[in-house]
Amino acid sequence: MADTRSDVVIVGAGPSGAVAALELARAGMSVTVLEQGGWVAAEEFDGARPEWELTQLKKWHPNPNIRGRPEDYPVDASGSDVNPLMFAGVGGAALIFGAHWVRFMPSDFRVRSLDGVADDWPFTYDDLAPFYAYVEEAVGVSGLSGNPAYPDGAPCPLPPLPMGKVGRKAAEGMNALGWHWWPGSNAIPSRAYRGLQPCVLRGTCGTGCSDGAKGTPDRTHWPEALRLGVRLLTGARVADVETDAQGRASGAVWIDRAGARHRARGDVVIVCANGIGTPRLLLMSGLAGRSGLVGRRLMMHPYAGVMGTFDEDLESWVGPAGQILVSMQFYETDASRGFLRGAKWNAMPAGGPQSFRAGYTGGTLTEGWGPALHDSVRRKFGRSFEWGIIGEDLPDPANRIVLSDHLTDSDGLPAPEIRYTMSDNTHRMLAFHTARAVEAMEAAGAIATEVTPLIRDCGWHLMGTAVMGSDPETSVVDEFGRVHDVPNLLVMDGSTFPTSSGMNPTATIMAVAARSVLDLIERRGEIAPAA
Amino acid sequence: MTGRAMADDTLLSDAERARLAALAALMIPGDELMPGAAALALHGTPVDTVLRIDPTRIRPLRGFLALPGAVSSLAEVEALAQRDPDGFAALGVVLANACFMHPDTRAAIGYPGQEARDSSAGLSDADLALLAEVQARPGPARDL
Repeated sequence: MADTRSDVVIVGAGPSGAVAALELARAGMSVTVLEQGGWVAAEEFDGARPEWELTQLKKWHPNPNIRGRPEDYPVDASGSDVNPLMFAGVGGAALIFGAHWVRFMPSDFRVRSLDGVADDWPFTYDDLAPFYAYVEEAVGVSGLSGNPAYPDGAPCPLPPLPMGKVGRKAAEGMNALGWHWWPGSNAIPSRAYRGLQPCVLRGTCGTGCSDGAKGTPDRTHWPEALRLGVRLLTGARVADVETDAQGRASGAVWIDRAGARHRARGDVVIVCANGIGTPRLLLMSGLAGRSGLVGRRLMMHPYAGVMGTFDEDLESWVGPAGQILVSMQFYETDASRGFLRGAKWNAMPAGGPQSFRAGYTGGTLTEGWGPALHDSVRRKFGRSFEWGIIGEDLPDPANRIVLSDHLTDSDGLPAPEIRYTMSDNTHRMLAFHTARAVEAMEAAGAIATEVTPLIRDCGWHLMGTAVMGSDPETSVVDEFGRVHDVPNLLVMDGSTFPTSSGMNPTATIMAVAARSVLDLIERRGEIAPAA
Repeated sequence: MTGRAMADDTLLSDAERARLAALAALMIPGDELMPGAAALALHGTPVDTVLRIDPTRIRPLRGFLALPGAVSSLAEVEALAQRDPDGFAALGVVLANACFMHPDTRAAIGYPGQEARDSSAGLSDADLALLAEVQARPGPARDL
């Protein structure tokens, strides 16, 4: 087994791994990053090609079970209401995310104090605000400062993208009801910005940006990290985090695509493998088990949608997609609604003509064909948009990942098995919100609405499975991601989140990673490496 | 067979293409505004293009095309679909993409594809007027 050595070994080259690697390299530390996927060039994405709608069904599908690339590991989600989504590559799932960029709200950090459920975070919105600003500048976030939902207006470094006809139509409905909305903030530059191209509104953000116009870590962080000497190994699947006799992390064993095993030694190991991959690796390694919470409290943000159809051309295939508008009107708890916490809404374009090919709604298999096909496309294509609803998913120890006893990846490592049931609170929450979104559509003049109460392929946001806290008996890591049992092993991804908020989490994942890694750098002299 | 001259024998046989053409004519019939499968010759090069891009559809598609039974109505297609939902799903993906990738279909529905546009204009005066109403209302966050 070939060995390498560096100050720090990082598992995963997605958003948080990129933040950690770059900051460590800027601080002069040697870093090795192990990424099971590879680089994806902008030219590989199909957004500018006619087959865009075809390849999103498999090649660029966010569900690894459908995509089935060699670098993907399978996920047994047969026991889950929601399929977890992810992407293995330099940049992680951000490569194919919608680039919705939103900070958590201040109340998200104080759920226990405010609503008597779940847990407070060990820090507040105000504590994290400087780190949000820091990563937003690095990513090149576009948006309009002054959002009244935030005490500081959630400032953005770049001006907003156009709202377009869809945004104006959505805003008209919200204004008619007197409800909050705001131009969407996105990790999509509205101007040429550092190494990023300006957005061209192609609307294919969710299947990869073919124009180099999305603020993904492969463009925003990795070029500088590599220039500073970070050693990024792709096609490197980590099988085990090793420890010495004193229980300190000594490095990671990884497997290359030819099946050969290697050892990357380091004084510190940081796991940034997402809310499924991180607990999977900790469980495979037999680490961080003191609290019994590794893999538990999985939160995945059940997602509902309301599509409105209008009797006018909205050019609703035009991007960004991306969120054109957001609304936090019903974000905060109002117990009279019959549930706790709330949800964020995002207005999104409807996409290409195949969005309206029926056959997905529980009727006959052929009901969307024949004359109905043309009728549907004629009525809806270009004339529809969606209010998407991200409901806060409260932590439940029963929602968890375990190691499968029957399914393995291509290297024979146990696949994650998901056990996840949507709570009654979430069911009531999404029912309330979809009803309000129908009202918003009708207020905007929709001639028809369609409610999707739960989209099964919606598990983009993987959180909670290595929860942070101050008590080693009730948490896995401390507020800076240090594993209580293994002080030179850190977790820096959504796994550490005590609660999920109702927001897309990438902004917070990167901000928390920045806070954690800067603390690590400050305390580097205190870390005792493995023997 | 329309479009047959350009079709690829290694992807589908003549018999399979004939069956596919019959199914396609029912599923994408065409009307006064929209071209149908026959007019587009979907069973020829358009389907080949789709299958080359996503060859994972070939096997379930061929399985569906091999099912015995008449295909003279959508009800008969439905009966076959119930027998082989996965095969029917592959058929749907292949036909829909062959149809909507076709320039004649795109022209008929006014779809230029996911084209590039200038995003630099930002918010318009109309957008800002709408936004002024939001700014005049109290924010939605609770007072901590």
